[in-house]
Amino acid sequence: MKFTLNWLREYIDTDLEPARIADHLTMLGLEVDACVPCYPDLTGVVVARIEAVSPHPNADKLVLCDVNVGQERTRVVCGAPNARAGLVTALALPGAVLPGGFTIKPAKIRGEESCGMLCSAKELGITEDQTGIMELAADLQPGQPISQALGLVDTMIEVDLTPNRPDCASVLGIAREVGGVIGKRIKPPVAAPPTLAGENLPFSVEVESGADCPRYAARLIKNVKIGPSPWWLQQRLLAVGMRPISNIVDITNFVMLEYGQPLHAFDFNKLAGGRIVVRRARSGESLVTLDGTAHQLDSEMLMICDAEKPVAVAGIMGGANSEVDAATTDILLESACFAAIGIRRTGGRLNMSTEASYRFERGVDPQGAPKAMERAVQLTVALGGGEIVAGGVDYCEGVVAPAPITLRGSRTRALLGMDLTLEQIGAALTSIEIDAARIDDDTLRVNPPSFRVDLEREIDLIEEVARIVGYNLLPTTLPMVPMSFSEQDPLRELRKKVAQTLTALGFYEAINYSFVTPQHCDLLGLAAEDLRRQSVHLLNPLAEDQSVLRTTLLPGLLENLRRNVNHQNHDVRLFEIGKVFHPVESSQPHEPFRLAAIISGRRNPGAPVLYTGESPADIFDVKGVVAQIVESLRLSGAITCETCVVGQELPFAEPGSVLAVRGGTQILGWCGAFNQKTLKGFGVKQQAFFLDLDLAALGGVAPQAKNFASLPKFPFAKWDMALIVPVGVAAGEMLSAIHGCGEKCIEKAEIFDVFQGKNIEGGKKSVAISITYRALDRTLDDETVGKIHQKIIEMMIFRFNGQLREA
Amino acid sequence: MPSMHEELLRLKAAAGEELAAITQLGELEPFRVKYLGRKGEFTLVLRQLGQAPPEDRPRLGQLANEIKQELESAYASRESLLAEAGGGAAQAALDLTLPGRALPFGKLHPVTQVMDSVCSIFEGLGFAVAEGPDVEVDFYNFEALNIPPHHPARAMHDTFYISDSLLLRTHTSPMQARIMEKERPPLRMIAPGKVYRCDSDITHTPMFHQVEGFLVDRHISFADLKGVLSVFITRMFAENTPIRFRPSFFPFTEPSAEVDIGCVICGGKGCRVCKHTGWLEILGAGMIDPEVFKKVGYDPEEYSGFAFGLGIERIAMLKYGITDIRLFYENDLRFLSQF
Repeated sequence: MKFTLNWLREYIDTDLEPARIADHLTMLGLEVDACVPCYPDLTGVVVARIEAVSPHPNADKLVLCDVNVGQERTRVVCGAPNARAGLVTALALPGAVLPGGFTIKPAKIRGEESCGMLCSAKELGITEDQTGIMELAADLQPGQPISQALGLVDTMIEVDLTPNRPDCASVLGIAREVGGVIGKRIKPPVAAPPTLAGENLPFSVEVESGADCPRYAARLIKNVKIGPSPWWLQQRLLAVGMRPISNIVDITNFVMLEYGQPLHAFDFNKLAGGRIVVRRARSGESLVTLDGTAHQLDSEMLMICDAEKPVAVAGIMGGANSEVDAATTDILLESACFAAIGIRRTGGRLNMSTEASYRFERGVDPQGAPKAMERAVQLTVALGGGEIVAGGVDYCEGVVAPAPITLRGSRTRALLGMDLTLEQIGAALTSIEIDAARIDDDTLRVNPPSFRVDLEREIDLIEEVARIVGYNLLPTTLPMVPMSFSEQDPLRELRKKVAQTLTALGFYEAINYSFVTPQHCDLLGLAAEDLRRQSVHLLNPLAEDQSVLRTTLLPGLLENLRRNVNHQNHDVRLFEIGKVFHPVESSQPHEPFRLAAIISGRRNPGAPVLYTGESPADIFDVKGVVAQIVESLRLSGAITCETCVVGQELPFAEPGSVLAVRGGTQILGWCGAFNQKTLKGFGVKQQAFFLDLDLAALGGVAPQAKNFASLPKFPFAKWDMALIVPVGVAAGEMLSAIHGCGEKCIEKAEIFDVFQGKNIEGGKKSVAISITYRALDRTLDDETVGKIHQKIIEMMIFRFNGQLREA
Repeated sequence: MPSMHEELLRLKAAAGEELAAITQLGELEPFRVKYLGRKGEFTLVLRQLGQAPPEDRPRLGQLANEIKQELESAYASRESLLAEAGGGAAQAALDLTLPGRALPFGKLHPVTQVMDSVCSIFEGLGFAVAEGPDVEVDFYNFEALNIPPHHPARAMHDTFYISDSLLLRTHTSPMQARIMEKERPPLRMIAPGKVYRCDSDITHTPMFHQVEGFLVDRHISFADLKGVLSVFITRMFAENTPIRFRPSFFPFTEPSAEVDIGCVICGGKGCRVCKHTGWLEILGAGMIDPEVFKKVGYDPEEYSGFAFGLGIERIAMLKYGITDIRLFYENDLRFLSQF
């Protein structure tokens, strides 16, 4: 809602600075979005009368104007088509700065002196009119500053209205609120409208349902002259961003802004049968509205019709078939109240939103129609010179008087936490024209005014009291509540813990949108029957590439990788913990949390190259990350990371470079290398490794309990062996064989070298293993350890078809 | 032949002089061998003690011991002095301006960092954390919160729909209804999470993060709302942050409030960020509307409470001076590494 300070001051007597008014409004819940001067600074621009015009000797399109600026005369070169003798217009004198920043200087234009510039309204930033220099009223005094002559000193204030305050979608409503602050009452232009009635009217109004249309007032004005509005009216509309159209249309808009009551003017002679019928549309009916759009109507939509057809969409927009135009002589003025819900529905269905529907959707004062009608009639007569047909129609059968509300002082005090007397409470309400009468020591009986359609319950009034008292004057306390322990969500704790581990391992956290492009599935090469292809679709996505909810986190990270590489950041470790979405028939989707991470570029991003070199990350980096996550969650015993054959689940992975993360028989996720095709599809030009885990499933695995074991009292002995085995033998299985051989003294077995090449027969490799032996009850002597070690060597040789590598 | 006494004094002087002239650690050992070793000059003199007259022996013995101790102590201090100096020289050979051998480390997303701080402040006040579904039922997102179909407040929400009855939650407030439906007061909860609105520009992304919270018990007042949110703001920003509460409208609270803090960019003087008002909107809040209580079967005469909601990105932008909200979702390491 926009208005200007001068406009506001027509209804409320205040000399408060605009900034103070803006501040008051904001603190009343009418948040001020803008408070700016309506017009540029026009110092140095004056009213001037052109006394004589003569041709420019050196230019066809320019003329020399002899200009009267009050005390003196001056000569100005002008190129406007409407420069003529006798025209009163605007002259920017030398030294004036035009809104564009252009400073006027005396100049020679094609050899002729020009002492200033005659200006169009657009050049002065007053209106958009640039057809010629301004045409001002002939009676203006030459030499007078233009701001003063045209009243160009004003401030535009824009309020961001909340949906509950349609009463403030009017300058009078805003003025009432300001009045509450400064302790004054508003002076509306129409105090008491005449009662409308009449026999033998040349028109009739029928309203089918008072529920749809609680009120409908109509009057006829004959022989109006359609023409432009006077400057004061245009100025009001322009200041709030509305385009002046014609006197009649401008009046309806002006009164709507003034009273918050939308009005409509019909060309009476276009109404068949001189009848107005307010009814629902019939099936098959259609209407072209004023904006030129054709609408198919349905029986839910309320229409204003004549004897034959719809002529307006009630409360939203008039029809082209009854539009007021230059030839109009008789107008039928409508001032009505339509049910909010119907307007919302119709506006939604027709996808139309107008100043009128904005107000009706939120609720228009059902008692406001006659006042606004009277105001509009007065203005029409004043500006359009028409004749009012005596009497009129005021259908008001649908108007329901608001029920009185009981307001308890005790309840008010308890909810606001402030000691307020019943008198203070009553006074707060009365200050904004809400009548409150004392019933007993604790009770007020409040009759909500008809313009406050939002006041229905006691709590609504308590809010009003708080608002008027001022939120910042209410006390500030801490609640007295019983102590209680808040339960921790284990999954949330798990997410935090994993995130902590990953950041410690050099990963940055990424957050990607939940909605993605459906093409991600193709880029990953997912099979047609892959569950990740079944996604939740948005009905109204912002763009096709944000139209489905993600079923995997990997594409987002791949896109992040591409972005970083494109910005010359080649060493990337990113992870994301987030939901993926799997549709569930006729219910909310399943939303499990997953953990995904990506590694690309150098193994040690950020670490000094001096020490770590440029060595690129490989699959053992992601495998190590999985191991560390598992270890940090104390799941080492329960979760394994095993080689797996790339199946349909992982069409994006490089065959032979994938590991499955298992908890028992359950697959919790994978880690591995992306294949080239996938990387290319995502525009990534370097190798990348991933891990992708089902976080909820990870959380479902029971962690190893923290049980203390006594510290060993006896030393360990570390013995090595180097075995030459066929290259196909898995090192992991060799370790498993040692751990599984049943020797109690083996504390740890570790591979410390794998070697192929010099001195090793082709097709074979040397695997060096170090075994730590320890007994809990004694020191192991060399002889004992030697025997065990020899036994293990023999076992290994036998099992893996190996031989001992001589040192 | 000089007397033994003289001989001792001469040794003392010579050794002292020689020791003082030593500047290299390596020269110390020959000196020690020469004077203090088993075959050193001192030992040789002492061996002659037996040939001295018996009455002189105690005096000479004492003198010899004193001189020897003196010499040993001078030797030790010379050694440590030279060791120190020599060590210094060795250290200079290490260029300590080379970088430390730091292990790589990453950081949490700024949204997560701010989210964690917000949650921990409320958790410190005894609020429990509950998270709900991102894809919400129309009922919990709107109707349970007193926003019936066609209500103008729905226009404030720019909802992404999945179907007639399913949508991407436009706020995390549905958890309020879900929890109250299941549990009885007293309740103190916060609901952090992702929310979605179809809006995209320099200050809006179609997905962002919110924390919604509420407290319900007997005798809870608007003054309590002010108290709890003031504690939050002073913890989140600074102890002396100016705070103001002003009326607003939310369908599920009444009275409703917007909470502003003094602009952290200009200190309240007025700038582009605060639209020259000196204030920044940081929170929406209000007393839970009786209609909401009725929908979950609470008696609004018995229970009262307040609810609040705040946008995490907005707070992060204000705290860190981020000017474009879209940066949060590009996951550019140049951005992520700054926080």
